[in-house]
Amino acid sequence: MKGLLTCFIAVMKTKLAEQMAYRSHFFLSLAMLIAGDLVVPLITLLVYRSGASFPGWTLHEAMLIQAVFTLAKGIAFPFFFGMVGSTLVHVREGTFDLLLLKPRPVLFMSMLSGFDPDDFGRVVSGGVLLAFALSGLPSPAALDWFIFLLLFAASVAVLASFSFIMAALLFRWVGSSRVYDIFDAVTSFGMYPGTIFSKAFQQLFTYVLPIGMIAFVPAQALLGQGEWGTAVMALAAVVFLLLGTVFWHRMLRSYTSAGG
Amino acid sequence: MIEVCGLTKTYLTHERGHTLKEMAVNVIKRPMKEVHAVKDISFTVETGGMVAFLGPNGAGKSTTLKMLTGVLHPTSGEATALGFTPWKNRREYVRRIGAVFGQKSQLLWDIPPIDSFYMNKAIYGVPDRAYKETLDHLTELLGVTTLIRKPTRQLSLGERMKCEFIMAMLHRPELVFLDEPTIGLDVIAKENIRDFIRSMNQQGVTFILTTHDLDDVELLARRVIVINHGELVFDDSISALRGQLGMRKAVRLSTEQPVAELHLPGVTLIKRHHDRELELEIDVELFPLKSFISHINEQYGILDMAMEPLPIETVMKQLYASEPRPGSFGAGSRIAASYR
Repeated sequence: MKGLLTCFIAVMKTKLAEQMAYRSHFFLSLAMLIAGDLVVPLITLLVYRSGASFPGWTLHEAMLIQAVFTLAKGIAFPFFFGMVGSTLVHVREGTFDLLLLKPRPVLFMSMLSGFDPDDFGRVVSGGVLLAFALSGLPSPAALDWFIFLLLFAASVAVLASFSFIMAALLFRWVGSSRVYDIFDAVTSFGMYPGTIFSKAFQQLFTYVLPIGMIAFVPAQALLGQGEWGTAVMALAAVVFLLLGTVFWHRMLRSYTSAGG
Repeated sequence: MIEVCGLTKTYLTHERGHTLKEMAVNVIKRPMKEVHAVKDISFTVETGGMVAFLGPNGAGKSTTLKMLTGVLHPTSGEATALGFTPWKNRREYVRRIGAVFGQKSQLLWDIPPIDSFYMNKAIYGVPDRAYKETLDHLTELLGVTTLIRKPTRQLSLGERMKCEFIMAMLHRPELVFLDEPTIGLDVIAKENIRDFIRSMNQQGVTFILTTHDLDDVELLARRVIVINHGELVFDDSISALRGQLGMRKAVRLSTEQPVAELHLPGVTLIKRHHDRELELEIDVELFPLKSFISHINEQYGILDMAMEPLPIETVMKQLYASEPRPGSFGAGSRIAASYR
């Protein structure tokens, strides 16, 4: 375990150095991500300013969900989502061989090879949104924060599972750069309060495709609507993570190298 | 060190035509073809060996090497290397092997090689002291002590290849697979790389070399394994490979008189540059050299003559040109062989 951690830190440092080699790209990319992530919250703000709303949700409550969504992406994307793009390239060019030649778990190596520090920019935009949302809400109690952190970890796990599934598909669907669009389309529902959808939809997005776990359920904890029963939902996230991991390893068997 | 027994790799690949109609049909239905990339090959490699693993494009050598490095699983057969089955004990095994690919870089393009080395140190769990000793030794041996702090993208191909070797050798592997290690290098860079490989081999490292550069083979390998159409067609020493050429010599000849058709036993016309300048191949067992020179001089008058043993390329061409057994195919440009 210590070896894995040392390896993790060393690779992170190297990847950060790699990103910083082109500082203008790094900072521009960071700025673009922050701006991009603020588009949906700005639209939400405009909607509320025009007098419309999500039924039963104040502006700050709706913003809280979007803040948690962005924050979760800010943690999950740098560590897990880079592997989708890197797997696409590695599989197409046959350079995934190089990862298989390293004496570490292949999934771990794949994750490290895709580490993308640019995406930490989302933590900034998520933080700004969270501060704005909480400024218009009663302060959450310590227990609410605790449950929130637990559910937030589950949220990151759900996002990690999505990245494992997408990367896994690329072993079979070589060069399918559109898999990310599938993820984007499906998870966009997670930016809105779950209660605006039908009951069946809510069940689907909690237990089958746990998209509600990305932001809606953790945000509820900060609104004082969380309870220990809610934490059980985190189990769905754990199961989803396990399924994602198993699916990734299963699909790795389809890996085809390239001609020498 | 390596024992391979009946290693076979078969896979399915789809065929597609190039016409618009064929491409359109391919979207709906993809005809599959079974490809026998590697067919029942067996060989052993001793510790400290330097073996050239050769074959024409699509012969199955890359597939074999990928199985021996644990990247691909075979369809059938067994292989052990360093006491491990590569595809079953991948993590333990790859910790003790190294690989250099002339066409796949392990270095990170935008940052100095020293950063990539540091990353590999952590991945392989090399202790600080051993890392420093090995790095100092390798950088000195390859003459890249200062270069490793320059961004990789600013290095020449030769300098990058030296750094690729350091990357592959930092964890002190006992067995190293080299795939086209001198591709695209100038003569000086090639010589440096070959000297390095020789030096490491003298220190006990076993090398398996895949290359199309026959100078690499002649200057480095003590043993040659040739694979063609997925089958092992030659496995012996480099001198035995030369022995396949028999007593044949390559002769370049300039004469005073034009040379018409030559009908001499054991003499083959290879190329006619001019009616007075020819390239011939002579089997001196069938037509002794003394008689040949005397005959040509009397008939056409020798102006100039250069003679040397036939290049190893000649025998390689013969081995590469051998026909496949019925029902077998080359591996093709894309090796659609599954990881497991």
